[in-house]
Amino acid sequence: MAWDKETELRLRQVIKDSGVTLLNENLVQGTWGNTATRLDEDHMLVTPTGLDYIALTPEDMPVVQISDPSIWSDGKKPTSERKIHAAIMQARPEINATIHSHPIFCSILASARIELPVMNDDMQRLVGGSCRVGAYGLPGTKKLKNGTVEAMKDRSACFMANHGVFCAGKDMDEALEIIRVMERSCYQYIQECTLKATGQQTYSDELLFDYFVAQKTAPKGKKK
Amino acid sequence: MNKTVQTILEYAQRLVDEKVVGESDMISLRTELNFMYITKAGVKLCDLKEDDVIKMNIFKVENEYKYHAEIYKSREDINAICQCYPKWVMPIAKAGVTIPAVLDDMAQIVGPTCKTANDDIASIIKTLKGRNSCLVKDKGCITSGRTLDEAYTCVLVLDKASHCFVASSVIGENKIINGLEARLMRLIYKKKYSKTNQENLTLKEESESVSEDTSVKEEGEV
Repeated sequence: MAWDKETELRLRQVIKDSGVTLLNENLVQGTWGNTATRLDEDHMLVTPTGLDYIALTPEDMPVVQISDPSIWSDGKKPTSERKIHAAIMQARPEINATIHSHPIFCSILASARIELPVMNDDMQRLVGGSCRVGAYGLPGTKKLKNGTVEAMKDRSACFMANHGVFCAGKDMDEALEIIRVMERSCYQYIQECTLKATGQQTYSDELLFDYFVAQKTAPKGKKK
Repeated sequence: MNKTVQTILEYAQRLVDEKVVGESDMISLRTELNFMYITKAGVKLCDLKEDDVIKMNIFKVENEYKYHAEIYKSREDINAICQCYPKWVMPIAKAGVTIPAVLDDMAQIVGPTCKTANDDIASIIKTLKGRNSCLVKDKGCITSGRTLDEAYTCVLVLDKASHCFVASSVIGENKIINGLEARLMRLIYKKKYSKTNQENLTLKEESESVSEDTSVKEEGEV
């Protein structure tokens, strides 16, 4: 082990706090999401599977081997998505913290499998360009893992098709900044698309409702 | 306070907190084969008090409680129902269309699709066949489960999937998860979480309001 106890204790708290932050900022639904921080080149701390972020203690976080994520120790049973976190950490030595979650606006683009263009300066600075969509794969599969690594190339975020978003930063604060800017940018994109589709000037959810109902109930052949 | 009443009050509050309720939402929990606790018709979930949760025989109910009673009568596997009006479900219920598997969690928790039933009990029961949730034309949605936690989670997941489906109308069509993969995920999920549900049921069995007969029935079904 190439890290000291003090660093480990600090990072355990970082993981615990990241879960609470995601929850408080509405960036996760229930326990559906997970985060990881690097301990050294071959070890990371991750959130355990299926547990409430509020109830979790720093000691619950297991240590997972990056080169073989099936090996883990301490803490509780790690998240089943640890393979993806490990694959990113292995492919990208500069990455020290990763977040996978399913906030609503990111999920919308993920379900439409749309590459998000650069929406603002923050996105350019933090994500490093457009946000691509990784290939669809069932949870836990190699296809999903490889698709995510591929889509993350030269970027710090990508969508996971029909699933959610993956973000990676040099530390947890940056990873949190990235997921915030992603959620904001996705919302901005949806608003702009709604205004373009309806020809209106001001966005409201009702505008989107009405457009949807009109589109779905239009006589066949007249759908846009 | 009776534990079943307490559970209903707790989940009513959670639905309110998650902002997935409208004006006339109702939730219920079956405690014995023929008895359910249900929130009083006309009382908003945000105003719900202990006295607004009523125990009734599912064979002797007034019209307002018919939907819940009829579902329990036709489905012994269902012990909890949420009849809710979440914001994003509403336009889909109005259009009367089917929500496809837009997200993994929808496929796992709700199922590969969620159809819209007409606003009559026969149509709702037919649409719920082999499923736990449906939308109701021009109304909202009905979700169910073996526990109230299952039915509650379905409301959240359904509202999120609905939001994706509605927004896709302006950003480009949803790319749907293929049917086989969606069904496979549902199967794996059901298997994985049946353990958790069993724990929940055990808790429920310990509650004072459950008769021994019901406990035996539930154990047999898990």
